[in-house]
Amino acid sequence: MAKPQRRKTLKRSAGRVGYGLPTVLAVALHLGILVISVIKWPSSEPEAPNNAIVQATLISTETRTDQAQQAAEARTRAAERQAQEEAERQAQEEAERQAREAAEQQAAEEAERQAAEQQAQQEAEQQAREEAAEQAQAEAERRAAEAEAAAQRKAEEEAEREAARQQAEQERQAEAERRRQEEAARQQEAERQAREEAEQKAREEAEQQAREEAERKAQEEAERQAREAAEQQAREEAERKAQEEAERQAREAAEQKAREEAERQARQEAERKAQEEAERQAREAAEQKAREEAERQLQRIIEGDSSAVSNAEQGNEAANGFIQLVRRAVEQAWVIPPNVGDGTTAEVQVRLGPSGEVFAATVTRSSGNAAFDNSAIQAVESAAPFTELRDLPSGVQRDYRQFNLRFRPGDIR
Amino acid sequence: MNDSMSIPHLIMNASGVVQFVMLLLMIGSVLSWIVVFQRSFVMRRARKAHRAFEDRFWSGVDLNELYRDAPAEGETQGAEHIFRAGFREFNRLMPKTRSPQAILDGVQRSMRVAWSREEERLNLHLVFLATVASASPYIGLFGTVWGIMGSFQSLSMAQQATLATVAPWIAEALVATAMGLFAAIPAVIFYNRLSAESSRLLGKYEDFAEEFHSILHRNLQGRPDAGAA
Repeated sequence: MAKPQRRKTLKRSAGRVGYGLPTVLAVALHLGILVISVIKWPSSEPEAPNNAIVQATLISTETRTDQAQQAAEARTRAAERQAQEEAERQAQEEAERQAREAAEQQAAEEAERQAAEQQAQQEAEQQAREEAAEQAQAEAERRAAEAEAAAQRKAEEEAEREAARQQAEQERQAEAERRRQEEAARQQEAERQAREEAEQKAREEAEQQAREEAERKAQEEAERQAREAAEQQAREEAERKAQEEAERQAREAAEQKAREEAERQARQEAERKAQEEAERQAREAAEQKAREEAERQLQRIIEGDSSAVSNAEQGNEAANGFIQLVRRAVEQAWVIPPNVGDGTTAEVQVRLGPSGEVFAATVTRSSGNAAFDNSAIQAVESAAPFTELRDLPSGVQRDYRQFNLRFRPGDIR
Repeated sequence: MNDSMSIPHLIMNASGVVQFVMLLLMIGSVLSWIVVFQRSFVMRRARKAHRAFEDRFWSGVDLNELYRDAPAEGETQGAEHIFRAGFREFNRLMPKTRSPQAILDGVQRSMRVAWSREEERLNLHLVFLATVASASPYIGLFGTVWGIMGSFQSLSMAQQATLATVAPWIAEALVATAMGLFAAIPAVIFYNRLSAESSRLLGKYEDFAEEFHSILHRNLQGRPDAGAA
């Protein structure tokens, strides 16, 4: 019974197939395929002959084959140009400044001379005027003094006379008093006498007063007359003076007008000069600004700060992307005619519109095979429009509006 | 280009649904290969066992000895299983009835049952293989369609739709279809092969059952005479 038992187990192990081994095998198979796919892909990649069939080379109007080199060249060129411009500008500025200074100096000298002349003239005039005024004043003074003196003299005389009279009167009074005293001593008659005397005195006094009044009046009259005379004289003097003054003023006015004319001319001249100067300066400033702007732009494009550089790089990248896109689009659209040798090359110049549409596609270098040339042009036309042009930075767009495409079939890279 | 377009890279970059589809297909592929290997082994052993059993059967050995030598029922496979089922039924019916027709009917029924069991055993999991073969292209296609939908959705947001921007998405999406086909093609091939093998084996079993039936019939042809006599 042991034998069948053993045989049974043997048969069982042989007959029944488990799932362990198949699982291992299946997983191993998949892993193997995965490994093969991972390993094989990179090695199979280089021999992928897809893009070797069609070869379209894009050459921009400016040779943009080596961006970095070109950027470096442009940078050095820009630096040179900048230096040159700097030197030129400096020289120009120097010359301008010198000219300006000379002109200024000249103008200043002229102005100074004019000013000096004017001043001298003015001074002379003023002096003359002053002299005249002084003379007039002196004359007036003298006349006034004379009049005054006359008046004074008259007054003095009168005063003297009066004084004398007063003195006499005083004396007389004293005498009268004495007499009155005598009369008082004499009493009665004396009184009458005194009264009479007093009356007389009063009369005399009244007379005197009247006389004095008359005298005063006369004096006043005289004074007034003198004053009037003086005034008239002064007036006449003044009139004459005024006339003279007017004449002088007219003369002066004429002179001044002439002077003003001259001044105005000079001023106009100066103004014009100044204006020209200002204009020139403004122009220079504008030029300089423009130059600076251009430089700054150049700098911005080429060197400048980092953001400008990155912008420029982005622009370049976008442009490169655009070139790639155009190249691919043209490659895809290109139907190579049959029986074309590998070495056949045609160059097509493409001009684009602002929105990427093709204005013109002309064969610049024929391959000698008309069908091939036509196929190249058809490829460009069917690949158009290159709307990606609009996505480029506006500064770079212009450079890519025109470019050359080189068409070359075959597997030569 | 090399790196971004390699298959593992594409699988890693795919969207969630597509990755799920790929995972499903990967599992389906692994399972179908397990089934393929397992069935292949089973078929080979069944073929070998059948050949060995037929050699033994037709070597002129006594059937009782053959029956006794064979292991217990349930453990045997293929033609041996059919032989054992038939012979056991024959032995059981022999003492009970004298009618050869009833015995032969019983034997035939029991052998048909055994044959049916063998058929079930041989065709086990082949249906799964057929399912993988027919369904995985569709699953892969679903992944592709989904991936391309996603790619177009993202393309609508992109500024410039060039081939370079669409290509990775489509490649990514197409990996799903590739994987579906990768799972389906072996499944189809091996399903056909294995089912052909299985049907051939089952045909052989049927032939053997018929032959065994005829032997028993021949034996019974003598016996009713003896029984009658």
